Amino acid sequence: MKLHLKTSFDNIRRAPFQAMAAILVLAVTFFVSTLIAISVFSSHQLLNYFETRPQIIAFLTDDANQEQINELMGRLKSDPRVANLRLISKEEALAIYKEATSDNPLLGELVSPSIFPASIEFSPSDLDQAQEMIELMQDELIVDDIGFTANVGGSAAVGDVIERLRTITYYVRVAGAIAIGVLAVTSFLVLMVVIGMRISMKRDEIESLSLIGATPWFIRAPLVLEAIHYSVMGVVIGWLMASVIVMYASPGIFSYFGDIPILPKASSEFFLMLGAILAGELVIGVFIAIFGSLFSLSRTLKLR
Amino acid sequence: MPLLEFNKVSKNFGSIEALRDVSFGIDEGEMVFVTGPSGAGKTTLLKLLIREIRPSAGEIVFDGKSVGKLKRRDIPKLRQKIGVVFQDFKLLPEKTVSENCDIALAISKTPKIEWAARVEHVLDLVGLSERSELFPSQLAGGEIQRAALARALVVNPSIIFADEPTGNLDWETAEEVIKLLKKIHEEGKTVIVTTHHKKIIKEFKARILELRKGEVEKDTKE
Repeated sequence: MKLHLKTSFDNIRRAPFQAMAAILVLAVTFFVSTLIAISVFSSHQLLNYFETRPQIIAFLTDDANQEQINELMGRLKSDPRVANLRLISKEEALAIYKEATSDNPLLGELVSPSIFPASIEFSPSDLDQAQEMIELMQDELIVDDIGFTANVGGSAAVGDVIERLRTITYYVRVAGAIAIGVLAVTSFLVLMVVIGMRISMKRDEIESLSLIGATPWFIRAPLVLEAIHYSVMGVVIGWLMASVIVMYASPGIFSYFGDIPILPKASSEFFLMLGAILAGELVIGVFIAIFGSLFSLSRTLKLR
Repeated sequence: MPLLEFNKVSKNFGSIEALRDVSFGIDEGEMVFVTGPSGAGKTTLLKLLIREIRPSAGEIVFDGKSVGKLKRRDIPKLRQKIGVVFQDFKLLPEKTVSENCDIALAISKTPKIEWAARVEHVLDLVGLSERSELFPSQLAGGEIQRAALARALVVNPSIIFADEPTGNLDWETAEEVIKLLKKIHEEGKTVIVTTHHKKIIKEFKARILELRKGEVEKDTKE
């Protein structure tokens, strides 16, 4: 392997312009791929944010005992249509109220926990099932009243926003897939051409190796490794360029979208996302390199 | 049973008959000069032996196996058993002399731990120890020939086939190369040398197989 690696590095060093052309095309491919991957992630986050946003709040009657509440919570927990289930006690409701009126402490002091009803909050996993869930909760004995958060304008308005976001997400994915597909095919062809040129340049050497008993794989290995070097370098350069741009733009993105977690805010999660994209791109890059070079070898190298 | 046997082998290139009904056997440990004028079919013998080409008729048996019937995947194994010194050397121009030997060892899957000692031994044998880090383009004619011989020898093959190893060399250098091949033969190797150098055949005692117009005209073993 060490011998093949050395041969492949020698090949790159002896024809630097071919190497640069291949690396640059791959870098552009993976630069765009990284940006598209981040856009797809962000649009998914945006959609997820709005999809899980609408909450159904079931206000409980004052005489609801703990056993009844636990029984209802248990049923909701096992229901696949329910997400983000949460029980808000009277005390917690008061704390929320006080936090919301923190700019006017007097309002908080005038109330006691007893005036706030306990409630069960949850999001429907699918917005289409919201009405069904509301009706189901209304039939519960310990439920006094049902509320549906109006943060984004009630269920109809929420549905409208989500539908638009779904459409945008769909187009981002389709346009991204087309762009990545075109660039991946270009990279594949460039690698094929570069490896094909390398085979033409080294025809005598390849013949010599074959005549002294080299197996086809022994002859092919340095050329496949050379394509993998181009690909890995292209991936790293493209990913690095896109990552730097996203990192530079992230403070502006965070302030524009406010609470919406369009990008991970914690550094560890942010770099985990970039790391996952890099890992995925490396796998795709190596795949393109192996198939591009083997395809080129099968077309241009006929060993006797 | 001979190590190498040609049984009524013919080879045609279109309408040209390169070999016609050629039959001979070479035993293990023999040294043979294959001689004849240009176009007599000497290099065709080598190409048939390493399955670079197939015979039009007849059979070649090497080490008990029919060369013509070998499967494609078994051809590299056959070639690894034959140490060939090609007329045009076929050294890798971008590798040094010792790297050329390393590649032959890598091809034959020799354990890496043995490489340094083996390369040192063969380069010492052919007198190229001082030139091991030079590229083929930096060597003189006789040195290139010896480097090609070192690469052929390093894998310890069953047989050495040197195709016109003295072709472009002056008498003194040619004599040195043949002496070296003789020395290798004396160490127990089977050596086949093709040459049209009459003086070499006269000076070095060995079996002579003379080809003319694709046929065996003389075989001193018979």
